[in-house]
Amino acid sequence: MTFAAATAASMAARAATTVAAGQHGFLSPTGVEIAFLLVGLLTFGAAVVTVTTKQLVHAALWLVVALGGLAVEYLLLTAEFIAWVQVLIYVGSVVVLLLFGLMLTKAPIGRSPDADSGNRWAALTVAVASAGALVWVVVDAFRTTWVDLGGAPAGSTEVTGASLFQNWVLPFEALSVLLLAALVGAIVLSRKAKADTAAGGTKATAPRVPGSRDGEQDKEGVR
Amino acid sequence: MAPIPGSGLAKGLAVTLRTMTKKTVTAQYPDVQPELPPRTRGVIALFEENCTVCMLCARECPDWCIYIDSHKETVPPAAPGGRERSRNVLDRFAIDFSLCMYCGICIEVCPFDALFWTPEFEYAETDIHELTHERDKLREWMWTVPAPPALDPGAEEPKEIAAARKTADKLAAEQAAEAERAAQAAGAGEAGRPDAPAAPPSGPQEGQS
Amino acid sequence: MNDALDVALRLLVVFVVFLTFPLIVGQTEHKVMAHMQGRLGPMYAGGFHGWAQLVADGVKFAQKEDVVPAGADRRIFQLAPAVALLPYLLVLLAIPIGPGEGAVGEVVDAGIFFVLAVMGVGVLGSLMAGWASANKFSLLGGLRTAAQLLAYELPMLLAAASVAMAAGTVSLPGIVDAFRWWWLPWQIVGAIVFFVAGLAELQRPPFDMPVADSEIIFGAYTEYTGLRFALFLLAEYAGIVVLCGLTTVLFLGGWHGPWGADGLGWVWTLLKAAILAFVVIWLRVTYPRLREDQLQKLSWTLLVPLSLAQIALTGIVKVVIA
Repeated sequence: MTFAAATAASMAARAATTVAAGQHGFLSPTGVEIAFLLVGLLTFGAAVVTVTTKQLVHAALWLVVALGGLAVEYLLLTAEFIAWVQVLIYVGSVVVLLLFGLMLTKAPIGRSPDADSGNRWAALTVAVASAGALVWVVVDAFRTTWVDLGGAPAGSTEVTGASLFQNWVLPFEALSVLLLAALVGAIVLSRKAKADTAAGGTKATAPRVPGSRDGEQDKEGVR
Repeated sequence: MAPIPGSGLAKGLAVTLRTMTKKTVTAQYPDVQPELPPRTRGVIALFEENCTVCMLCARECPDWCIYIDSHKETVPPAAPGGRERSRNVLDRFAIDFSLCMYCGICIEVCPFDALFWTPEFEYAETDIHELTHERDKLREWMWTVPAPPALDPGAEEPKEIAAARKTADKLAAEQAAEAERAAQAAGAGEAGRPDAPAAPPSGPQEGQS
Repeated sequence: MNDALDVALRLLVVFVVFLTFPLIVGQTEHKVMAHMQGRLGPMYAGGFHGWAQLVADGVKFAQKEDVVPAGADRRIFQLAPAVALLPYLLVLLAIPIGPGEGAVGEVVDAGIFFVLAVMGVGVLGSLMAGWASANKFSLLGGLRTAAQLLAYELPMLLAAASVAMAAGTVSLPGIVDAFRWWWLPWQIVGAIVFFVAGLAELQRPPFDMPVADSEIIFGAYTEYTGLRFALFLLAEYAGIVVLCGLTTVLFLGGWHGPWGADGLGWVWTLLKAAILAFVVIWLRVTYPRLREDQLQKLSWTLLVPLSLAQIALTGIVKVVIA
């Protein structure tokens, strides 16, 4: 899970930096662009450390840095709403859930030599391939389109909300149905576990709590 | 009668809020002296004039914390031709308050009222040796001994006062009778002074000597 | 240059508020808690009723040795207090105390999201502390912190969403501007849910299982000493300030007062926040600590349904009056 998320983060970061570089060139970089690039590099670095470090909890914390860096990138692109939702959902909830899981299971202080899976090369291939695909798609789609960040806010809450509920209502609803299904699934699974343990102590309810919450939380965030 | 849900919570809040408006019970000791009950057992004082070195206190002390030294002196006869008396003179009287357990047996047992409780309690020391209070220090504590609490309104008179009064009354009656006799003897109309049985010696010390 | 000066001034003011208000709340807690228990509380430091007690505490903390356990993950252990404290400083920036641009550190468009998001980050500090201490009690405290955060962030968000729906904006000044007095009864359930969930997120009694001293010593903060420990404490009290400010702004109408005193709006905000802070202390004195399962049950079976009902009610009323 860590690996996948981190890979996604690193890809996004890489894609973002590439776009910024490709858009405007380096002829007259503004302060925002320089900041964007630097934060992008930082995010990328954090993402790489996330997937390479041998210390499990450190990986989760580096993931926080990477996700936070992404939020800053969104902010620099004036997509304020998305940025805060990113922090709220990913840093505030997903990483906490991740850390919770790590602490519940196995989180030794120091290096875990067995933290490496044998799929390193496969993972790298997938990461590079998907990053390449993303970069190519984004670059190809926008090419020389110039978004004026100084003009009317394109990423404010109002604009985001309007486009979400006007142009993208159907996907939005489909997504919430999906999340609802996940929620129901989580409840059903935990019910079954409860029936198995018969007595139904706290053990049975414990897994349901983070699980069901995760679903609801995501749904709320999207909304 | 099912209580309204949350009424217990509200009751709890009310309790704390009410307590907040009440006066606090904190003892602000070094700033404000505590109000001690009568007969507080703080430290033991010695009224050495009353001590006859009978050693009862030292012997009864469960902790053996009373040290008494004395020597004998001969007193010349009070009346010519009388016999010489010997008398104990106190040389040292000390109480080690690091051993004392404040049982008060010494005070109970003293037949001559030489030991008293005082409510003073601030005599902590940094050196344990200084907790052994010598004679002069014990005498100093005597000044802090409070007057005994008054008796209840309807209580029986203290024995020594009753005894003193009895003697005084007897004396007065005798005097009155004598005066009457004298008046009768004088015969004349000189009215005898009707002196009431005023107040011949009536002190608590009456019973002792 | 005027802009820079303006920004610097605002930052300075927010920083001063950040440093003083938690201390004021802390001192009030000392005194109120004492009197609620029939005591006097601190009486000596500073002369007058012990007003400088927390300053003295701060000096004491600064003098203590900064111990890092041998088995601990050194860097994360040392970083955790900052992670716990800084988010509250950021949140304070966005809380408006009066109408207009002048009375808020920085107007944030998606204010509610900003505030809740950043407050959630603060809990990471406790998690890091709990894990990095290399202590089983700390780890338990960290786990409890995480479980509590997961359980209570949802009702908090939902309650905030309800008021945002009512106002039709997610900006904090915008919400207060849209406030009318009848919102109070309308949003009361949301307000209570928000406040209770906020208390739980701050780990204040009666929701202080993560630091339950009778069970797990001091939870995630067991191994901390000196200034770092003081920073955690400061974070808790800064959290109270933030929570009270937020509840005031979201549900109690911020600077709106019954007599509409113009120019004195900030007094109203501060007054309401102060009353809420008193309630926080009051609750702490009154109620015993919940058990871990009671805590989860309270959130999932009571607060979440209540907040969902509040959202439904908000929606219905909104449609009716539209």
